[in-house]
This record gives sequence, C-alpha cells and structure tokens, in this order.
Amino acid sequence: MSTSASLRTRWNVSDIVVASTLAVASGVIFWGWNLSYHAVSTLFVAYPPTASVVAGMWLFPAVLGALIIRKPGAAIYCEMVAAAVSALLGSQWGLGVLLSGFLQGLGAELILLAFLYRRFTLDVAVLAGAAAGLAGGINENWIASYYQYDAVGTVVHIAGFALSGAVIAGALPWLATRGLAATGVLGPLKSRRAHLESALTGRTRTAGTPAA
Amino acid sequence: MAVTARGFTYQHADRTRPAVAGVDLEIAPGEKVLLAGPSGAGKSTLLHALAGVLHPDQSERPEEEAAAATSTGDLLLDGIPADQARGRAGLMQQDPESQVVLSRIGDDVAFACENLAVPPDEIPARVRQALSSVGLDHLPADHSTAALSGGQKQRLALAGILAMRPGLLLLDEPTANLDPAGTEQVRDAVIAAARSTGATLVVVEHRLSLWVDHVDTLVVLQPGGGVSCRVPAGALHTDQRLRGQLTEAGLWVPGADPLAGLPAWSGAGRAPCASEPQAQSGGKQLLTGSGLAVHRQSPRRSWRRGPAPQPVLSGVNISLSPATAVGITGPNGAGKSTVMLTLAGLLRPHAGTLRAGAALKGERGQHLPDSPADWRSEDLTSRIGTVFQEPEHQFVRSTVADELRLSAERARVPGSRRPLFSASEVDERVKRLLHRLRLEDAAEANPFTLSGGEKRRLSVGTALAAGPQVLMLDEPTFGQDAHTFAELIGLLREHIDDGGTVLAVTHDQDFLRGLEAERFDVARFADRPEGARSGADAAGNGPEGTRGGPDAVGNGPEVSWWGRSGRDTSWLGRRGPLAKLCALALITVALIATIDPVSAGVVAAASFALLPAAGIRLLTFLRRIWIFAVASLLAVWGAAVAAEESGRVLLDLGVTTVSTGSLELGLSLGARAFAIVLPSVLIFSTTDPTDLADSLAQQVRLPARFVLGALAAMRLLGLMAEHWTALGHARRARGLGNQFLTQSFGVLVQAIRMATRLAVTMESRGFGAGPRTWSRPASFTASDALVVAGGAVIAGAATALAVLAGTWNLVWLN
Repeated sequence: MSTSASLRTRWNVSDIVVASTLAVASGVIFWGWNLSYHAVSTLFVAYPPTASVVAGMWLFPAVLGALIIRKPGAAIYCEMVAAAVSALLGSQWGLGVLLSGFLQGLGAELILLAFLYRRFTLDVAVLAGAAAGLAGGINENWIASYYQYDAVGTVVHIAGFALSGAVIAGALPWLATRGLAATGVLGPLKSRRAHLESALTGRTRTAGTPAA
Repeated sequence: MAVTARGFTYQHADRTRPAVAGVDLEIAPGEKVLLAGPSGAGKSTLLHALAGVLHPDQSERPEEEAAAATSTGDLLLDGIPADQARGRAGLMQQDPESQVVLSRIGDDVAFACENLAVPPDEIPARVRQALSSVGLDHLPADHSTAALSGGQKQRLALAGILAMRPGLLLLDEPTANLDPAGTEQVRDAVIAAARSTGATLVVVEHRLSLWVDHVDTLVVLQPGGGVSCRVPAGALHTDQRLRGQLTEAGLWVPGADPLAGLPAWSGAGRAPCASEPQAQSGGKQLLTGSGLAVHRQSPRRSWRRGPAPQPVLSGVNISLSPATAVGITGPNGAGKSTVMLTLAGLLRPHAGTLRAGAALKGERGQHLPDSPADWRSEDLTSRIGTVFQEPEHQFVRSTVADELRLSAERARVPGSRRPLFSASEVDERVKRLLHRLRLEDAAEANPFTLSGGEKRRLSVGTALAAGPQVLMLDEPTFGQDAHTFAELIGLLREHIDDGGTVLAVTHDQDFLRGLEAERFDVARFADRPEGARSGADAAGNGPEGTRGGPDAVGNGPEVSWWGRSGRDTSWLGRRGPLAKLCALALITVALIATIDPVSAGVVAAASFALLPAAGIRLLTFLRRIWIFAVASLLAVWGAAVAAEESGRVLLDLGVTTVSTGSLELGLSLGARAFAIVLPSVLIFSTTDPTDLADSLAQQVRLPARFVLGALAAMRLLGLMAEHWTALGHARRARGLGNQFLTQSFGVLVQAIRMATRLAVTMESRGFGAGPRTWSRPASFTASDALVVAGGAVIAGAATALAVLAGTWNLVWLN
C-alpha cells in the first residue's frame, strides 16, 4: 500500500488545500489584472486576434499548481478551480469557462505527464505553459468557437496564445515557485527545495547552502 | 486522557537541528497545563505532534535522507501513538481565519463529526451542545462564519473541537490575535469546556498572566533541549528564580514590567499633542484632519458598485505635532485602522480635509499638494511611513539588506525624479538600520524566513529607511514576545527623540504607557448607532484589523453574496444545485453549438423572464452584466475585422476590411457571447457554494477530499482580496507605486501560509482519512426535476426557433 509510487502520487491534505487556495488566490490575481490592465486590451483593437498575447494570464494557475504540488492532476485541478472561481465572480464565458479551464489544464498536464512528473525545470515549465496556450487556442477557435477568424487570424491567435502561455504561464510560474520556495512557505510540499534546483537539470545544489 | 512523552524528538525537513529534542513529560488525565518557553523552543511543534498532524518523511530517495523530517522517541495518548489517535485530540491555532473551515457556523462545527463518520442523525445534537458550551447558541446555525469577530471565530473553533468529544485540548496561542475582550471570552470558554468535559488541556501562551491562575501546571521547554521545569502553576507568583528565568526568555510574566529593562525615558517637556486642531497652531502641525469621514472603500463612484458606502466614522478631527505619540483606540471593528490608513495617505477621505503642514512637507515640499492622498508614492514614503499589522505585506525583496536599501533608494526629491539620498547616504542608512534593528547577522537572509520578532523589527526598519517624520503602525505588538515589545518601544522612543511622530492603532496599554502616548478614542465618531453595527463589530483581527461584514471587502472582487447570512429564499435559490447546474449546462451547450442571433435572443429573453424566480431586481442584474455587454461589442468588432470577408465591403481600413458578411458573423458572435453569461449569472447568484459542494461530492461522486478542499479554499476568497488591497497599500507606503507582480507574489505567499494552517486545522479535525458521513444529505426532488426540464425547454426552444428561422448552424461543421 505505502509503496514509494503511491507516496509519490497520492495527494495529502496539505497538497489539496494548498492547491485549492492557490487557485482561489489566482482568481483574485485575475481580478487585479483586469483592474490594472483594462487599458491593455484596447491596444489590440486594431487587430483583435493579437489580443491572445496577454491571454497567458488566464493559464498561469495550471503550471504554478503543477510546479508547487508536483503530483498528477495538479495542473488540471488548479486551472479548473481557478476557472470555477471566475465563474462565481462572473466570467465573460459563463459556464463555458469550466471547459476552457479543463482543456488548458489538460494541455499543461500532458507535458508534465510526458516527463513522468519527475522534471519541474524551466524548459518543462515553458513547454507546459505553451501547451496550455495551444489547448486554449484550439478551444477558443474550434471547440467552444468564441472566435471565427479567417486563416491568418486563427494562426495569429493560436500562436500568440501559445507564446503568451510559454512566458506568462510557463517562465513566470517557474520563477514564482523558486521565489516561494525561498520564503520557506512551501515547507510541507514536495517543491520546498525548488529554489536550490538548477534551472535545466533540476538537480539540487549540494548541502552547505543555507535554506534562506 | 493521559499524555506520555519519552525522549520525544522531532526534526523538520531541511533543518540542521531538531525543533524539540528529548522531551520527557507525563500529563495526568484532566490536568491543565500551561506550556511556555522562549521563541524557538518548539512549543508549537510539540502541540502539532500531539495533534497527530506532523508527518515524518518516509524517504523515497536516499539522497534526500539527510534533509528529511524525522521523529524519534515516543509520544503517546492513553498509550496510543499520537499520530494514530485520530479525533482524540483537538487543536486550536493562533490565526482565527484559518480555524474556520466552512461558511456557516453549524456546518463548520459538524465538519469534524462528519470526518469521524459520526452517524448523521447524531450530529445535530452534538453541534447544538458544542455551540451552547462556547456561548454561540444564540446565533442561527446558518449564520455566516465570515460575520464573526476574531474572538467568536476562536470560540467557534473550540465548538468544532468539542463536537469531536476529544480527550485532549491543545491550544497554540489561541488569543494572540485578539483584543482584550475577545481574549477573556475565549479563555473562559476553554476553561469551562475543560472543566465540564474533564478533558486534558495543554495551552501554549507567552502572556502567562492570562492562564496561570486557571491551570494546574506550568511546563517550560528550552530551545534545543527537553523540559526545563515542571511546577505547579502557582509557583510562577512566588519562585523568583523561575520568574527571572522566564522574563529572560521573553515571556510576559505576571506582575513584571515589560518596560523595566529599558533606560529611563520621558516624553515630558514635549509640546502637548493636540488631538483637536487648534486654530492658531497650524504652522507647526504635521498633519491636520478636520471633519474626516472614512471607509475602506474608495469614495470614487463606480458604475458597478452603485452608491458610495456609508462611512464607518465621520467628523473625525485630529492633528499631529512633531515629537509626540498618539494611540488610536476604540472597540474592535470601530474603524481604527481605517482612520490610520486615511491619515497615512493610503485611503481617500469620504468627507472633510486632510492637510499636511509645511513642517511635514519639508523644505523642498512646496510643490506638494496639501493632502497626502494626492502625493506620489515616492514623496509619501519619505514623509509618512506605515507599518502594517502583517509585516510580510511590506516585503518585496529577497534579502533583508536589499529590503532596507530599496526603501532608502525610493525616496525622491519632491516634484522630481532625483533620489533624496545619495548612494553613500543609502549605504550609511542601511548599515545603521541593520545595527539598530539587530539584524546584522540576518542581512542576507530572506525576509520571509525571519522569526516573528525579527519580521516586526524589519517592517519598522523598511518604513524608517526612507526617513519619514511620521510613523504609523497598525497593532504593532500583536503576538509579540516581551523582548520584541521592549525593542519596539526602544526604536519608537528614538524616533520621537529625533523629532519624529508616532501614531499607532493599538489595544496595548503597556505600549501606550511606554510611549506616553495620548489616547485618541474613535468610538465617539461612529456613524451608526451601536446596535446597528453588527457587521462592523463582527470585524475580526486579520491582517488589517477590520473585516467581516460584506462592506469590509472594500476594494476586493464583488463577493458580497458570499458572506451573506441565511439562505437564498427565492424560488431558484431553494432548488438543488445539481439540477441548476444541469439546466445551465444544457443551455450553455445549446448556445455553444451554434453561432446565431436567434438562439442567443431566446436565451437572453428567458434569462430576463426568470429574474423574479431568482429574486434578482432588474437594476441589480443590469449592474452585474453591463460589463459583459461591452465585452460582446469587442467580439463583434473582432470578427468584423478579422473574420473571412464576404458580401459588400462596408469599411476599408487598408490592411483589413469590414464587410457585410463579417459584420453579420460578428453580431451573431457578440449576441452569443452576451447570452452565454446571463443564465450563469442567474444560477451562480442563487447557488450556495456549500450546497453545490455537497451535491458534487454526494450525487456526482466527485472525490470528497478535493471538493471539500476547494470549498474551504473558496471561503478564503474575500480574505485573499483583503490581502491584495493591503499589499497594494503597503507598496504605495513604501514608495513603489503600482507593482502588479510583487503584489501577486505577496498574495501567493499569504495564500500558501493560510492554506498550510488551514490544512492543519482540517487534518486535526479528522479530515482526509477514512470514510466520512454527511450531515446535509443532498437529494433530488420533483421541483429539481422541473428545473432540469426548464433548462431543457429553454435549450430546446433556442435550438428549434433558430432552426425554424434558418439561422441555426452547427459550429463544429463550419
């Protein structure tokens, strides 16, 4: 029962509550983003498909959750709870936001699965963010079809989404995880040493480094 | 219940030494123990271990062995290892917010019973009994937990623990965040509960006088070692050696003066500080407020929020002179912090004027506007420094030295971008402050990893580094030990001696005495009569002092329906959440399936027609949805510009064109985007999250641990929004202006801290292991079937009419 595999993958109470709370805090950050960057969206009026280059903002809970919890399902769970929070606060997409949340989380999740939940490095984070963006782009153009752009518009929209995901929902969450680990708040979680890991190999720096 | 520790040692992961080591202790059944010791002696660790919420690592990778959490020795409750005695010990922690799990008081108390699989028909009696034994039985069971004061929240937590019928009560500084009245109520409730249940009691507290006359035994832990003494509690009054030892350790020993160790100081001879503005002395005053009306929420009107809120205090006249101290006092929730934030230039007054005198503006300050609220962040920070109740709100850098350096660098010469301090002056200030704050050894440490006392000193230091003449502090001594208290007094006395002014929101009489501060009681400015202030009175003691009533959410997201008391009594509000969700899903799928204006129109019309059933007034509804209408216009424009062109060209923009075809498509998309929001607003504003979670776990059979975890986290939404607002204030106070990224990071840190404490609370109440029962069975009734049928009819009608009109097109085939 308590084999090393189940220890590695079973969520304990801290994992569940931290993941849920992160998702709820993300909802508050979404709201702060809306408020601070209302003007940003008007920049894209000239050619609306390019607006997706800031859409990575909606994807960051997926990769952040995955990097902090480091257990299967974290990306989907965090993104869906964050989506549920936006639905409760009133989302532009109504109930459809849950579908978006699921698909975007799934995009990130597949990348982490491909690395068997063993690598949480910068490159994996960037890939996962891009995959979440790609999934979001596919959903918004072909599944939920919120947009009906011509071929050029569709390509621009999806590429912008993936790029935005890679940066805002990939690299930034990776940096945030390191910053959080350095504050010591990740103590009960598997990611508590993230700030000591090398960016690309993921190996922990050897002892002698104070945990500050 | 008997407690036995034999050579118990626990080392947290990644630490070089154990938190507790070699503890040998016997506690008899029913014994009441006060557990004391200096900061870092491992008192909390021992309590957590007794509560069974510590989990030594079962290391999976050998290379991590050295850093793993380990436990050795025995810790037994009635002979059973503590981590296997689930539900036998109840734990209460310091922060009231993380002691509450669910959003209605009855549900919160029932939570532990459900986790321990108590039969559902037995639970209501247990809940009633527990609520009455902590004196909360006058409140209805569906009273909102968000509307409780800090003291009431702690008593609710006690009720949740008592409902488990535990043999051991563990309390970890249960009153550190409470005002004096709340503190005594909690203590009395705990003592009464321990007496009536015969449970063993272990309480950790550094204000010893609060408990010493109510317990049997005093146990003192020493850092890195075991128990240094175990004596009858009364010895604390008589044993001089013991008293000396505990005073040395920074504990609040009854009858000992916490100021005794400080050099003599007298503020006498300073100009009397005039709370009421004096007509002629305007020139000397630093800051003068006349007729101020204050509220957390900005007075700026907004379309969404409706009318401006009623101020919590009005007609406040106050003025600050150089080299004085003022203590803002008054009952909990009276608006003390709000007054302070307004005076600090962080909130705008709703009425009256706030004017900075020439003395505060300084020699180069002639360009500054009169009101600090209009100052640039950089000008504010070098004149008025603000120290927040939660020191972490102020931290933005990764080392202590950088944190101080940043403050010194941000100060600017008024009206220009030139720094106020030269590079060498900055270095000098940082060096001097590190010394004064006794943080030289921690200069390269991450601020978040400091001890509580060090964080408090650093938070004062970051404010002082920018060289402000006025220093404002919000409950600076909450939860601090006597050492930190005395150091803080010393720092503030120096500030006053240098001609500075201190204004503090505080309940602490020793603090007021230590600074010879003049009391400024705000109760007399209360706008609402005492009885009508239940919401504000209920305000707890979280990060910013006031919270609770829906209006306390202030600048946060609109979650006012969240904390409301009682249930939604509209027709839709009384229906089962699963049925509503099904109906909403049917309608949403019907809308997503096609891009046409007819189906969108049908759904929109149906939504408006259903407003009476949802008990939502038209104006309220319009206020909530107008922003989505704007978003739909953007959708129209997006398609018009960037969709496949067809038909006549209406507008040629050079690179792109708008044609009749693309405009028609855009209008359909816009109508659909607007229509998709309306039913979800209806459903979500009439659905209670707790009921929804019950449904999802019991009827849809989603994993209960995850559903309840998400539910407990959602309760924190309003709190998180308050953290967001406070973090914004702290950035402005530090001269950083608007900082979205560090503000987001700050919210994440607070979220994880809170989540970690909440996880401990939930686990100590039996959550997460084994089968559970449900005290609120979710059912599916005939009228729920009607709701689903209604959803199907709307979805069907939308589709059918669109097909008839010839506009229906399956989007996935396009």
